[in-house]
Amino acid sequence: MNKKTTLVSLSIGLIVFTLSGCNGQPKPLYTYGDYSESYYNSKKNVSKESALKLQKSIEYAIENADKSRSKRVAPGMYANLGYMYLLDGESAKAIESFNKEKIIYPESTRFMDRMIHKVEVAQGNNNE
Amino acid sequence: MNKKLLIYVVFIISAVLFSGCEATYARYATKGSEFPKMYEQQPRSILILPPMNESTDAEAKDYYMTTIEMPFALMGYYTFPSEMVSEIMKQEGVYDTEILYNMPLDKFYDYFGADTVLFTHIKKWDLSYAVLASKLTIQIEAKIVSTKTSEELWKYTGTVVVDLSGQNSGGGIAGLIAGAIVTAVNSAAADYVEYAHMANRRIIYSLPTGPYHEMYMKDQNVRIVDQTPRK
Repeated sequence: MNKKTTLVSLSIGLIVFTLSGCNGQPKPLYTYGDYSESYYNSKKNVSKESALKLQKSIEYAIENADKSRSKRVAPGMYANLGYMYLLDGESAKAIESFNKEKIIYPESTRFMDRMIHKVEVAQGNNNE
Repeated sequence: MNKKLLIYVVFIISAVLFSGCEATYARYATKGSEFPKMYEQQPRSILILPPMNESTDAEAKDYYMTTIEMPFALMGYYTFPSEMVSEIMKQEGVYDTEILYNMPLDKFYDYFGADTVLFTHIKKWDLSYAVLASKLTIQIEAKIVSTKTSEELWKYTGTVVVDLSGQNSGGGIAGLIAGAIVTAVNSAAADYVEYAHMANRRIIYSLPTGPYHEMYMKDQNVRIVDQTPRK
């Protein structure tokens, strides 16, 4: 009877191990929230609403970055947000976001500097 | 009794091992042996270009594009925001993926500062009909190329085949018609993006991890399915 119990518990343990095997993962490296779904949706149904939803998803991912394994905002998130601000004509907020991307990911420096330069040139033209 | 128990345990363990997550009949290699240049050049960033659509589905390009960034970022690389990059390229007058794919690679370093470029080819994104069944095939080929040496550092292909006829479990003629309607609706919406994510998972596990991942430069011995054709 004892052996049978051992056998049963051993089997259950192994089954649990097997099932967890392929799916069980540690915390993801970054928080994405529903970014992927919103991005896809913004392509599938091009509209103001879907674009706004995408922006909301990006903001959520940024705000909840500390819940991820790296506690860092995912690559490209601040750049994306900055680009959205830029399209909305919010130059100062755009530059601020591009700078944040650069601070977290120095790999983006050249690209972000180029974007910041673009915004500044456009601003200069508007002020003249 | 003890011996029986032992045999039982060995049997279960081997079943676990053999069932695995990967295809059963495959040759294996390691990340280190397959992609040594990734470990030599140690790229930090990947510029994701819009995919090259070689399938019959015109919308596949836009839809697949939305799935690429996340898996590569989660493997520890700095991934440039693909949508924004694509918009900027258009502003620079480059609309055509074909032109983008034939550009000198150092341009991508000059403009973006990217260490590497990711080219993706949608080989298949197709629904094939048969009398009683319809089958969806998604096949993606992905390739990372250095912007400094123009060398190919990594290449892998992921394929997903889905039997969509399994959706009508209801029997009889009515079930069959319902199934046909489901298939038609599905194909009209071309909503196969979840299977594209699946294809990506079959590709991404073979990639050596990047500098933002804990396994960076420690995963040379990780086993992957060898896709190099046998000589």
